[in-house]
Amino acid sequence: MQTFRRFLSPFLILALVLGSFTVSAAPLPASDLISTQAALSAESADADRERIQEILSRAEVQEQLIAQGVDLAEVEARVAALSAEEAHQMAEQLEQLPAGAGVVGALLVVFIVLLVTDILGLTNVFPFTR
Amino acid sequence: MQDGSIGGSLNARLAGVVLVALCLLLITGCAATPRLAPATEQALPRQAMVENVPFHAQTDYQCGPASLAMVLNHADIDVPMETLIPQVYLPGREGSVQPEMLATARRHGRIPYVLNNSFDSLLSEIAAGHPVVVMQNLSLPAWPMWHYAVAIGYDLDREEMILHSGEEAQRIEAFHRFDATWARSGRWAFVALPPGTLPSTVGERRALEAIAAFEQVQGPVAALPAWKGLVEQFPASGMGYFALGNTRYAAGDIQGAIVAFRAAVERREELGPAWLNLGLLLAAQDETSEARHALNRAAALPGSWQTQANEALSRLP
Repeated sequence: MQTFRRFLSPFLILALVLGSFTVSAAPLPASDLISTQAALSAESADADRERIQEILSRAEVQEQLIAQGVDLAEVEARVAALSAEEAHQMAEQLEQLPAGAGVVGALLVVFIVLLVTDILGLTNVFPFTR
Repeated sequence: MQDGSIGGSLNARLAGVVLVALCLLLITGCAATPRLAPATEQALPRQAMVENVPFHAQTDYQCGPASLAMVLNHADIDVPMETLIPQVYLPGREGSVQPEMLATARRHGRIPYVLNNSFDSLLSEIAAGHPVVVMQNLSLPAWPMWHYAVAIGYDLDREEMILHSGEEAQRIEAFHRFDATWARSGRWAFVALPPGTLPSTVGERRALEAIAAFEQVQGPVAALPAWKGLVEQFPASGMGYFALGNTRYAAGDIQGAIVAFRAAVERREELGPAWLNLGLLLAAQDETSEARHALNRAAALPGSWQTQANEALSRLP
């Protein structure tokens, strides 16, 4: 595995570098200014690589939203409204992100535990405990 | 013999009681009333309530769209909850996730700022008249019950929060219970404000990133007041003036952009991209000598802009 990784990593780096060339070599007019987004991400890390990551993330999020049952007509606009960082977060860990719903489906044991913690003021599941 | 067994079961019962009591002490220890920093406590009014936050009762799993509708309507965006449901709700998860809550606010022309995970900033925003969307886990970490609500008021003397939550408008929650449920989301909270208004507790970097993300979705004309507001609140922000310059340029105001880029490099001499953009605009205006100076500065500062600066220098007459 170690040797495989050692063998693989130069190719990955090469792929990223080549990929970044195609992105930065997009037909910009010569006088085009450096954008705020580019300058901000340049301050945090490698801007070109982040840009590629962002494109990949957005494609990934688009697929995931469709898989989660989002209306096709809405998918594109929803992905477009995400910032680069949010798109990355969605692509990496949508399954782990907490989804606010406000409803609990629980067993009897859980019910009793939650009832006790509700009375102690640690949780807020049952309206009648307040 | 009989005495012995009675004694044994008594002992066991006693041990059980002690164990339960210890557990309770342990848990309740964590649920203390949150403390404010002394400076915050001094600055805040004892009670505060954001007026005119319309209430939308959630249906089924829709606390995300309902909370969003409340803060957007308060910020003069007339969008019904029914429109927001297909924009933010995830059917597969039967709920809404945090990144999309922020993205949807952005889509409707309001800038979402995530607060800094503290009770101090939550109360400060309410006192400043901004309703705050909070994420809570109303249950325990093992059986989470994630929930969005809108914090609209507080009372420091009675130690109570006031929230539009679920099916209940102006629900009153004790500080300690609210904080116990809020802490389970890492005290996640955000405000959604019109461009030009900044949260009272936001830091420079966070504000920069929030506005830059907004501009990417809504374009420079919509973002212009936000950058103006940012440099007013953070007059020393070189990056803020740099962003203002870019936005003015994109909106067609070249002279205004030059003024902003000059202000940017005055504040941050080492800001290469600002020197480059200043130089490019000056060169296009035929102000050759100042353009040369700016481009030379950009070329001297290490970064990806050096190539572009050298090319522009070679094109100067």
